[in-house]
Amino acid sequence: MIAITDTSFLIDWVKYTKRDLIFKLFELIYIPESVFNEVRSETTLLWIAEGLENNKMAIFPEISELRNEALRLVLETRRLPIRSVDFPEAYCVVVGKVQNYVVLTENGGALALVNYYDEYKEVKVMRALEVLIELYKRGFIQEIKGEVKDYSRQTNHLFSNRDLRKYGLI
Amino acid sequence: MKIDEKALEEWIERFEEARELRRKYADWNFIKSQPERIKIALEYYVETGDYRGAAQMAEMAVDEFVNIAKEKAKIPTVD
Repeated sequence: MIAITDTSFLIDWVKYTKRDLIFKLFELIYIPESVFNEVRSETTLLWIAEGLENNKMAIFPEISELRNEALRLVLETRRLPIRSVDFPEAYCVVVGKVQNYVVLTENGGALALVNYYDEYKEVKVMRALEVLIELYKRGFIQEIKGEVKDYSRQTNHLFSNRDLRKYGLI
Repeated sequence: MKIDEKALEEWIERFEEARELRRKYADWNFIKSQPERIKIALEYYVETGDYRGAAQMAEMAVDEFVNIAKEKAKIPTVD
């Protein structure tokens, strides 16, 4: 599988001590230029640099027709009574649809978009929670409830009870 | 733009729940003690979850802002 990640996913995932497990699921993780350009923290940059060096990550270029579609999504969602999607996340979602890549995001606007917008419902989106569950299913994590708690503690990321219940974690 | 109205309603509800959690866990003493620009940005982030807009208000990089919001202001990321 190939994934494309946005900033929100990177910010949290990089704090997780078992962050490199993600490469067991994805042979390659793309980072769009717009996402790469907004990363400043040394920890995140170091992890990206290692990923680029080892060919586990690559920068996804900005392609004009995908960029235009992403901008359309930004404008369309700003008319709705809900958090809109920003350009870097919109670009990930568009690339995810066109290239059939998994979109890694924690961004509410992007997560909501692929749920309520019919045209983008087939895009496969994973948050850290789904990545952890997939790692568990494939045997890379031994005990899922404890691991989700560890992830929350290490990253200060709260998962909603609604989602934890959905996956049988509470 | 063809919208699934039921899904949209559900997400509006989810965003409200997320807002409540950010309000609950935020260290309001820390937030109130910040220079005005940072305070406004942190409060905006608590209310909306819009880290990119908040980072712009604070004149910071997105990841730097989120790290301060998490580590200093105790505002969790909430799905």
